Amino acid sequence: MHTLLIILPILFAGIILVNKTATKNLVAIFFVAVLALASLVSYFSFESPYVADLPHFSHSLFIFVDIVLLLYFLVQGIVKTHSVVTLLSLAQLVLYGVLLSLSQTISSSDILIDKLSIMMYLIINMVGGIIIIYSLKYIQSEELSEFKKRSFIALEFFFLAVMNFLVSTNNIEIFFMLFEFTTLCSYLLIGYRSDAIATSNALKALWMNQIGGVVILLALILSSLHYDTIHFDLLIANIEDIYLIPIALLGVAAFVKGASIPFESWLLGAMVAPTPVSAMLHSATMVKIAPFLMLKLAPAMSEFVSLSITLFGTFVFFTASLMALSKDYFKEILGLSTIALLALMMAMASIGTAEAIEACLVLMVFHAISKALLFLQAGILEKSFHLKYMKDIDGLIDKSPLVVFFIVIGFASLTLPPFGAFIAKFMAIESISELIALNPLYAISLLFIALGSVFLTLLYFKVLTKLFAKDIDTKESSKIIISKYYSYTSFALVALLVLGIFVSYKMQLLNSFEIFIPTLLILTTLILFASTFFKKAHRVKEYYCGEKERLSVNMYYFNIPESFIKTVHLVSVLFLIVLVLGVLL
Amino acid sequence: MFDLKKYRKKSPWILHYNAGSCNGCDIEILAAMSPKYDLERFGVINTGNPKQSDVFLVTGPVTLRSRERLVELYTQMPEPKVVVAVGSCTCTGGVFRDMYNVEDGIDRYIPVDVYIPGCAASPELIIDGLVQALDILESKTKEMEYPYKLAKDVKVEDGVINRRDVARGVEDKDEED
Amino acid sequence: MTQVLLIILAPIIGGLLYGFERKLRARMQNRVGPPLLQPFYDTLKLMDKQAFLINPYHSILGIMHFFTLWVVVAFVILEENLLYIVFLHLLSAIFLILAGFSVRSIFSHIGANRELLSIIAYEPILILVAVGFFMSVGSFEIATIRENSSQLLSMFLLFLSFLLIIPVKLKKSPFDAVEAHQEIVGGVEIEFSGIFYEFLYMAKWLEYIFIFLLLSLFAGDNIALAISLFISVFLVLNLVDNATARIKMAHLIKIVLTLGLSLGLLNLIGLSYV
Repeated sequence: MHTLLIILPILFAGIILVNKTATKNLVAIFFVAVLALASLVSYFSFESPYVADLPHFSHSLFIFVDIVLLLYFLVQGIVKTHSVVTLLSLAQLVLYGVLLSLSQTISSSDILIDKLSIMMYLIINMVGGIIIIYSLKYIQSEELSEFKKRSFIALEFFFLAVMNFLVSTNNIEIFFMLFEFTTLCSYLLIGYRSDAIATSNALKALWMNQIGGVVILLALILSSLHYDTIHFDLLIANIEDIYLIPIALLGVAAFVKGASIPFESWLLGAMVAPTPVSAMLHSATMVKIAPFLMLKLAPAMSEFVSLSITLFGTFVFFTASLMALSKDYFKEILGLSTIALLALMMAMASIGTAEAIEACLVLMVFHAISKALLFLQAGILEKSFHLKYMKDIDGLIDKSPLVVFFIVIGFASLTLPPFGAFIAKFMAIESISELIALNPLYAISLLFIALGSVFLTLLYFKVLTKLFAKDIDTKESSKIIISKYYSYTSFALVALLVLGIFVSYKMQLLNSFEIFIPTLLILTTLILFASTFFKKAHRVKEYYCGEKERLSVNMYYFNIPESFIKTVHLVSVLFLIVLVLGVLL
Repeated sequence: MFDLKKYRKKSPWILHYNAGSCNGCDIEILAAMSPKYDLERFGVINTGNPKQSDVFLVTGPVTLRSRERLVELYTQMPEPKVVVAVGSCTCTGGVFRDMYNVEDGIDRYIPVDVYIPGCAASPELIIDGLVQALDILESKTKEMEYPYKLAKDVKVEDGVINRRDVARGVEDKDEED
Repeated sequence: MTQVLLIILAPIIGGLLYGFERKLRARMQNRVGPPLLQPFYDTLKLMDKQAFLINPYHSILGIMHFFTLWVVVAFVILEENLLYIVFLHLLSAIFLILAGFSVRSIFSHIGANRELLSIIAYEPILILVAVGFFMSVGSFEIATIRENSSQLLSMFLLFLSFLLIIPVKLKKSPFDAVEAHQEIVGGVEIEFSGIFYEFLYMAKWLEYIFIFLLLSLFAGDNIALAISLFISVFLVLNLVDNATARIKMAHLIKIVLTLGLSLGLLNLIGLSYV
């Protein structure tokens, strides 16, 4: 079953690449259904962790593929004359050569599938699958050649395969290779539209992720030299508090992949990519590698490492929400809130108590669904309404109440009860409160979480300013019908959110009162929206001091001074240096 | 159901509008709200919002610029409502009667229920007039009251009455004045 | 059983409190003031007006704001999890904000924006107060907090920051920029009229009940202390309301956050050493 999840998408990618028939959409939908079904079956049939070893020739194959990949990056750096990319690719090749020259005496199985992997399968295949169905229609309206359109879908399937493999492996070297593959997919897909800004942003994403690659290689070399292993479970089992540097370096790699400050510019630059790329890579699946890695490393962290990662994670949560208040580009707002929530997930993962880890897992799953829903709406706004900036959106509720409904549900599901992401935040605050008695520095963490969550609420609901104002005086019905692909996929994600409410009830994350009463309130609101019309009330104009002019609505913007952003970058670099140096001492 | 009408007297919310007055009567109205004369003991709140008020306290002879706004505010008040004209200017034009720039009082535009004379009307007179207006308020129905000029008919769409455009601008020439 | 009765009577008790407060303010200003039952007279008058509506969404969101706030008060009376109640209260505030945004009225939008900004001011402090209770008493459940002795002394700084946000939530000077009546004609409630305004009016009464119930948590199981806290805070609140002017929104957030958060943080760090 698990091998199917890894092998099948590569097969599907190949089929889609060559399939020129008229049924290609149906074929892709069928493939998505197969993968989703497989992940569901593996979830429900999970009993105990599954270990396996890869055949021996695969190791040589992976080494060969990895070297080709690193050479490809080097070539890209030389061809596009980007010195940083070239330098980092050279560094990676050199370090990889050093790694290959070392050999380890103790080894463990290469494939390890535990509860964490099973949950990641669900996110990757179901949410990723829904996004692929959405992108079938999205990519049709792009101006690209037919081959490029087919290879877009094929690349997305290939990416699913890479992610499925990445969450199943126990071998850090294979993990590194797959990490670089996700960097490759990101690089190819960001630059897909081949204009100047896409290429430069793709290169920026490339070199920032390569920093992560370099750091993983360093961690691998040090782990191999001191602990004599390149497998996760052995490293964690044999960890000694005086030599935690591999864990710290892997933590830094997680921060790079999760686009924490100071690395956030690659994620914001990646928003020029086609929207399904932003949805799948940069919110739902690829960036989830960051908290995934933290969860794997959590049992091995000492007090110092755990405290500093928690402090740093909550600090990023707070500053990213603050920085998002000054942005006007809808996808950048979503991107910065993704960065904030990822940092919160990583902080939770590093705390290590049972409740904190559960909070991290719940947030991972529900954040993937909600953010995918929001990014899909961003794509609909881009394609059907030609809107990118918040200041141009006006009166969307007259043109398409359905899209406004999805956006409101998307935002509400990240902050309000009874939805899953709220439950995770609630559990996060509960778990930090228990730790304040042990170490008062956690109180600062709690402060950051409280402030960050309130800034996120402000951010989401301020965006609704212009969307929601209903214009009574337009006589002609200006409704725009959006495509079935778009609306059905969005409905599927909303259905997943509703399912999530039931699942949280089953798992008893909150008691029944606390879950069902807000659900009832929200449902009542929606039913009332659809049904009541207050026939006996007279319709009147808004109050404008008796004037007869029409009103144009505006939004608040908060100017974040440049010096603040520079200070934040400086502080976060200092945090990372303290983390790495602290474990050396 | 018990009689809700008598509660209209117990909580009159006023909307105070200056239709071009010299501010003398406005000052007296504000003085009536101050602790010495205390209009709030009748439950009066000075809302600035026509949608939430029952009593329309108007001062000033209607200058040319304030005609549209007077009618607009009057139509935005929900029934039952009373209009109280405070000061001689509002009743008949006062010292400005027959001048080219005023319209000689509000009763050419909207139906008035209580006229309070005086230049400026003293706070005691204002309180007296307000109390008499409350008695009139109790006897009113919820039928819609139209302004005399600058008003169009309500539109009825699908059985729903739409009052958004009842107040006409001076420039709109689709109706006889 | 008494709890269910209290929940059903909560708006009425809130109305009596609101009416008493208007009388108190009038007496402080050396005048007579409206009768005690004035809020109920207002209610009955509002039910008799012609219903006005801008669009149905606006009115429905106003009604849901009132019912959600009633549910929050019910949760407090039923002694549920305090941290959860803080976030459920956020849901009721969001209904009001969406109502403010759903009409094309400038005052409504400014009011809704200011309401959103005031959430920045009071919500972190409420979370810190909840965590402070957790650290002193050991649990977030209101039932446990009520059973323990008064935490007023060990949470004194948090009590001070809670006092700082009471004017923000009850829309009283100096922190009443959200509903600045003379400036933005009431903010969000401007476009509500008649029976729909009634729901917002009753929500204001319920807000009083909510805040004073949270205040009584600081007294633990000591009922005499709770009553004296309630009376003294009520008097000081109205005194400050009568004596101070309104400050701007930006200053409101700055003052409340810096003072409130530093006091709260000091208190939490202090509690961690105990």
